[in-house]
Amino acid sequence: MKNLLGVALGILAAIGGFVDIGDLVFNVQAGATFGYRLLWVVPVGVVGIIVYSEMCGRVAAVAERSVFDAIRERLGFSVGLGALVASQIVNFMTLAAEVGGLAIALQLLAGLEFHLLAAVAVLALGVVIWVLPFEWIERLFGYMGLCLLVFAVAAIKLHPDWSAVAEGFVPRTPPSDVLVYGYFVVGLLGAALTPYEVYFYSSGGIEEGWTPKDLGLNRANAIIGYALGGFLSLALMITAGALFLPNGIDPELLGTVALGAEVPLGTVGLVLALIGITFAVGGAAIDTCFSGAYNLAQFFGWEWGKNRPPATAPRFTIAWIVLLILALLVTMTGIDPVMLTEYAVIFSVVALPLTYLPLLLVANDRAYMGQHTNGRVANAFGFVYFVVILVVALTAIPLMVLTNQGQG
Amino acid sequence: MNRRREIDLGLGILDHQLVDVGGRRCGKVDDLELEGVADGPPTVSAILCGPPAWQGRGRLGRLAARLARGRLVRVPWTEVEEVKAGVELRRTARELRLGAGDERARSLIEWIPGAGG
Repeated sequence: MKNLLGVALGILAAIGGFVDIGDLVFNVQAGATFGYRLLWVVPVGVVGIIVYSEMCGRVAAVAERSVFDAIRERLGFSVGLGALVASQIVNFMTLAAEVGGLAIALQLLAGLEFHLLAAVAVLALGVVIWVLPFEWIERLFGYMGLCLLVFAVAAIKLHPDWSAVAEGFVPRTPPSDVLVYGYFVVGLLGAALTPYEVYFYSSGGIEEGWTPKDLGLNRANAIIGYALGGFLSLALMITAGALFLPNGIDPELLGTVALGAEVPLGTVGLVLALIGITFAVGGAAIDTCFSGAYNLAQFFGWEWGKNRPPATAPRFTIAWIVLLILALLVTMTGIDPVMLTEYAVIFSVVALPLTYLPLLLVANDRAYMGQHTNGRVANAFGFVYFVVILVVALTAIPLMVLTNQGQG
Repeated sequence: MNRRREIDLGLGILDHQLVDVGGRRCGKVDDLELEGVADGPPTVSAILCGPPAWQGRGRLGRLAARLARGRLVRVPWTEVEEVKAGVELRRTARELRLGAGDERARSLIEWIPGAGG
């Protein structure tokens, strides 16, 4: 019973931790631009992240390899280093966008000066990481991120045309601008398939000492956590489709997202939305910051881990501190986090095949996995999604350039 | 390595994690030193670890070797206890002169309260 409670609590935290600034930006913009017509992309992306995470969790539990252990062993030093550099650039852009988003959400809540809040926020994140055990961090940010459920209430209160919502789950030829539509398909997939979540998840599995006995837990975590998290993405898109599209509002600012909860639910809705955004984005900042340090340490063979005293994994510790400070400096330049998010999501899609393929190969390798290699279902999904990821990676930048980032 | 088992050197040893006798992660198998390539079947004589070993690891490896600092550490193959998830060594990292980068970095953060260890 206690175990069941633990799993339930973990899943709740995962739901709250699913949404990050990429999901906020792309789901809301997609809704504001195409209404409910792109809803079908969310489940496609969610199944993709489930496939990728389950595979990496299984490799962590059975072969005791993290993502970048497997990448270096499979691709060798040179190509592996290329994958590392690409991943680190994208990961850092995401981290900087999350920190910028955090500062904006705090500014809307507290009304103080932006630079001051950014500095305070980063200091607070640093102290939280230093002082709190992993589990508490995950729970704190996960539970508070559940405030985003206010968007589910908002979506219902806005009385969307439910038959149009239902039709949105079936892909159809777009009304007019095919390229902009394609850009949003790529962006929504990229926002759902955030690689840092997978790096973080698999490293966490190794830190917790998962064994093949934990494979059931791994599967349940990945499927239930991400599926329910995807529910929040749908709520965001429906809210935007019901409110922003008919009123011609272009959600270029992060604050506009919170408006989606304020209009139907008043100040309470606004405050809940802002608290939810603060913790969702703050939690994602911690995850990305750690992912960057995990990747470096695992590629170069340094000692790593959050569940050990920081001084026993010195380069790992210095790596996350430096990444956090650099992200603050980028935020201080006043760069627009929404724009930074769009670049981060699109570039992450481009880099994704480099980290996805080695894991797919290792998950199929008996020398690593013994009897726990990909089964028929996992392989069918694994290879179908590899093709999807390849197509998306090849079209992402052309679509971004041709549509002027979805502006048409 | 007492048990007889076939290992693919390229996929099964190269680029794998080095773990010392205390379970500490202390570098990767950056390259391998082979002996007797000219006469008869070659044997692995040592593991090479450290930035200079990246020299022979492709174009990006050469570039990285030039940019990074650090010594080449040679670990004789006789120091290998077992090859599991990582390559497990018979002695501590310090005795083998591995993981020196982590030891240097340690002094930068161990003064912070709660750094522990």
